[in-house]
Amino acid sequence: MTAAPPQIEIGLHKLRRTYMEGRREHVVLDDINAGFVRGESVAIRGRSGSGKSTLLNLIGAIDVPDSGEIVVSGVNLTKLSERDRTLFRRRHVGFVYQAFNLIPTLSVADNIRFVLELNQVDARAASQRIDELLTAVGLADRAASYPDVLSGGEQQRVAIARALSHRPSLLIADEPTGNLDDRTADDVLRLLNDLVRENGGTLLIATHSARIAASCDRSFQLHNGKLEETKVEETMSRSDT
Amino acid sequence: MIPVTWRANFGYLLRHPWQLALALLGIAVGVAVIVAVDLANASARKAFLLSMDAVTGEATHQVVGGPGGIPEETYVQLRTVHGIRSIAPVIGGYVTVADTQLQLMGVDLFAEQEMRSFTAEASKSTTAGGTNVEALIRGFLTEPGTVTMSRRTAALLELEVGDRFEVIADGRLHNAVLLGVFGDADAAGLDRLLTTDIATAQVWLDQLGFISRIDVRVDDGDNAMVERLESVLPDGTRLLTAAGRTRTTADLSAAFMTNLTAMSLLALLVGLFLIYNSVSFSVLQRRGLIGIQRALGVTRGELYVLILGEAALIGLVAACIGVLAGLWLGEQLLMLVSQSINDFYYRVNVTDVVANPLSIAKGIAAGVGVALLAAAVPAIEASSYHPRLAMTRSTLEQRTRRLLPVVALAGCAAIVVAAAVLMFSGRNLVAGLSAVFLLILGFALCIPLLIRVISRTLAPAAKRIGGTLASMAISGIAASLSRTGVAIVALAVAVSATIGVSVMVDSFRGSVRQWLDQTLQADIYAGVERGSMDPAVLADLVALPGVENYSTSRRSFLEDEDGRTQLVVIQMAPDSYAGTEILDADPAEVWPAWESDDVVLVSEPYAYRNGVALGDTIELRTAAGERDFRIAATYQSYDINASALLISRSTYDRHWNDDGIDSIGLYLADGVDAQKVLQRIESVSAGRQQIRFESNQRIRDLSLEIFDRTFIITDVLYWLAIVVALIGILGAMLAMQLERAREFAVLRALGMTPAQLGGMITLQSAVIGLFSGIAAIPLGVVMAYVLIEVINRRAFGWQIDMTFAGGIFFSALLFAVGAAVLAGLYPAYRAAQSQPALAMREE
Repeated sequence: MTAAPPQIEIGLHKLRRTYMEGRREHVVLDDINAGFVRGESVAIRGRSGSGKSTLLNLIGAIDVPDSGEIVVSGVNLTKLSERDRTLFRRRHVGFVYQAFNLIPTLSVADNIRFVLELNQVDARAASQRIDELLTAVGLADRAASYPDVLSGGEQQRVAIARALSHRPSLLIADEPTGNLDDRTADDVLRLLNDLVRENGGTLLIATHSARIAASCDRSFQLHNGKLEETKVEETMSRSDT
Repeated sequence: MIPVTWRANFGYLLRHPWQLALALLGIAVGVAVIVAVDLANASARKAFLLSMDAVTGEATHQVVGGPGGIPEETYVQLRTVHGIRSIAPVIGGYVTVADTQLQLMGVDLFAEQEMRSFTAEASKSTTAGGTNVEALIRGFLTEPGTVTMSRRTAALLELEVGDRFEVIADGRLHNAVLLGVFGDADAAGLDRLLTTDIATAQVWLDQLGFISRIDVRVDDGDNAMVERLESVLPDGTRLLTAAGRTRTTADLSAAFMTNLTAMSLLALLVGLFLIYNSVSFSVLQRRGLIGIQRALGVTRGELYVLILGEAALIGLVAACIGVLAGLWLGEQLLMLVSQSINDFYYRVNVTDVVANPLSIAKGIAAGVGVALLAAAVPAIEASSYHPRLAMTRSTLEQRTRRLLPVVALAGCAAIVVAAAVLMFSGRNLVAGLSAVFLLILGFALCIPLLIRVISRTLAPAAKRIGGTLASMAISGIAASLSRTGVAIVALAVAVSATIGVSVMVDSFRGSVRQWLDQTLQADIYAGVERGSMDPAVLADLVALPGVENYSTSRRSFLEDEDGRTQLVVIQMAPDSYAGTEILDADPAEVWPAWESDDVVLVSEPYAYRNGVALGDTIELRTAAGERDFRIAATYQSYDINASALLISRSTYDRHWNDDGIDSIGLYLADGVDAQKVLQRIESVSAGRQQIRFESNQRIRDLSLEIFDRTFIITDVLYWLAIVVALIGILGAMLAMQLERAREFAVLRALGMTPAQLGGMITLQSAVIGLFSGIAAIPLGVVMAYVLIEVINRRAFGWQIDMTFAGGIFFSALLFAVGAAVLAGLYPAYRAAQSQPALAMREE
């Protein structure tokens, strides 16, 4: 008896995205087809300007393709209005950025609470969730601190807590360790993987790093607008070492 | 070629055109207001002086008499007995032709050649033709009612030489014929001037046997002539210099004009905050660029000069735009200014703004100066940056926060200095106004600290009520204090000006209304616009059925070197004394003495201006020479020309040869219908003299209408200050929007809808407005107090009771919030359009 094939959580069909550079059309993504299953972690690799962020913007419902379809959790994002894409993002997507992008005028706890409030989580439940997440990221004692007094690693851990606060089905991380030293980067990456698995969501990471890619279940390479999956064995073996 | 360093920085400004445009607009509006007020004031004054110069001609001195004028024998004696030739008699007054008021000058053409050339110039255009003055003289002497007027006046009245028309003088109708015209088409100084023979003028103005003045031409340095004249002048006359007379008349409106200038400076002051905001924002935005320049070797001094140079250039361009706008605005203000001057001070005919270079230079200097002043602090800030690529925003805000106590302390010091200036500057109006500006500046410097305290206090409450979004809106204000603080200050100053001016105007209006209620005791007032009432008409009016009592009044002036002293001559009706409020003595003792002795009452403004009080004596020039009059009391008066002496008719008649009466007040018996009496007045006076008559209530309404009209210009000016402040808020909110673009993009990426984001920014704008309103209230109250107790007192001598109209503070708050929300709508819209993809980009 063979097991049923895993259910595709994110499906990309013939995606194309271009930008105009003056009068010249620049093709960033061309005929992208891929499928990611729920619970897996996926690395998207590529050189600067290869279109990694553009692809994540499309999957994260921030941007829309020129053509093609993106289906996340059964929802065709390309058919959604701007408002519905916003609401989709709010409920189903979490973001972690290279530049952390915490809200400077809010404390650590309020940065997390902000997303929970948007999702209309009641105050008591929100407070519990914040405590839980800050404990998980090791910042329980910094709840009242403001972002500008935290180190880069601490800020990124707050960003992860914020991204996971509403238990999104999809977590998008764009170069999440790009501004961190190697040791802190490893800590953050481990935390990110652990928490995503714990929450049962899908993790998409854009990265330059082969080391980070090796830590993911699957790895893709973006080159000249095309997305190609790299060998799992190779990635796994690198990960084992 | 422009150095690369400069190009790098200007390039930044050109890439942010809205920011540049707002800075330009802020200064330009401020400069436009200053230039407009200056031009309007200068044009009105210049028109008056021009007209006086033209009318004065070659005369260097003038002999003036008492209220009734100078007996014409005095002139004859000077000419024939004393052999003084360079003199010319003049009768001056005002007449109305086709609803246009004209200055009438009765002259003796034989004597005129010594004084004025234009009077004879009309001979060129007579129907007789030729250049012989005799034709003109013959016309004047042989045909009664012949007049000449300036070419422009004839054009205005659509009259041609030879036309016949009607003239109303002293309320009576006379026939006139235009004998000739004088002056060039552009001789504005002779506008609305009508000349006629002295005999015709005497008839028209009911001054038979009298002349208004004698013009005298004394050669430079001929003191002997002056002394000789003075020695032969009879009692009741005085020799004054023509220039001095013109100056003292023009100076009557000096306080009014100074106050207007102060209001215009307010608009520029608000503009100063605006340019500060723009320049400091542009510096903050370029902190990366500045850091790179420092790293590459640009010195602090070079950066300082760079920022200041940039501000000076913006100031210069804005000032030029402001000057152009000011020329247009000046035309509009000129109408309001000349209307007020005509209502209250002297006749001035001015239709065109004269673009005088001094006003323009002042405007440009003010624009550049304000830009440099505003840029000084941001320039220091920029030059202090460390040579690294970027300075974090939080560092800058921390620096701002650290400076807050110092800034507030400087504000307190400014307030103390302002209080000291107010206390020790005596009656100096300019010092008073300077203190007001210092006070505003002091308060303004304290506001940022106040905002920080309030927002920190309010943020937790906002979070409880409105959640994290509301908390973000409020804490964002304190967090971006370097930006929001200045916007709040600009709006607070503008709103406080509306509170201060509104409270002052309302209080003033209330006092005037109360004074009118008390003063206007008669049921009906009747009189002629200028000149005297016909005694026969007057006798018939007071004898009308239903009239129980009457009072009479005459307003006359005594002139000396220091200006004019106004005499208000009253014959009180029995039981009407209570209409005049005595401020410092027992009315029961004052009134009998006032009726019988040589005493006068002084108005409050007169007492303040001249430093006199109850018990002092004033020397007045009577028909029989100088006489001392005791001050029996001070009385309250809000007449704009309230600097006056109140004298009883009997005392006046004892000392001056003037039996004229300007107006009367009729007291009706109980139950008599005022409307019927008004109709009878009309029928009694019809065809004899044009009498203006109004009921008590109508006079009150008219007085308040004039009062309100006076303050239209004030309204216009403070609305302009508010426009400048709104531009400031708009600029600050746009700046914040630009600066926080990434933050907004993150919020959008996290799932905030455009409506939520826009709502948050709008809430933030509303809170900025609320803070401005809260800050404006104490400043507005203090401004009102200073305007009433110091500025009005110093400018006009009035004592006004300060009253607060219900809801004024609430209105101010509402207005501030409304204005801020309005200004914040576009930035909110822009923020709502934030692209969440921006959040994904690396800095």
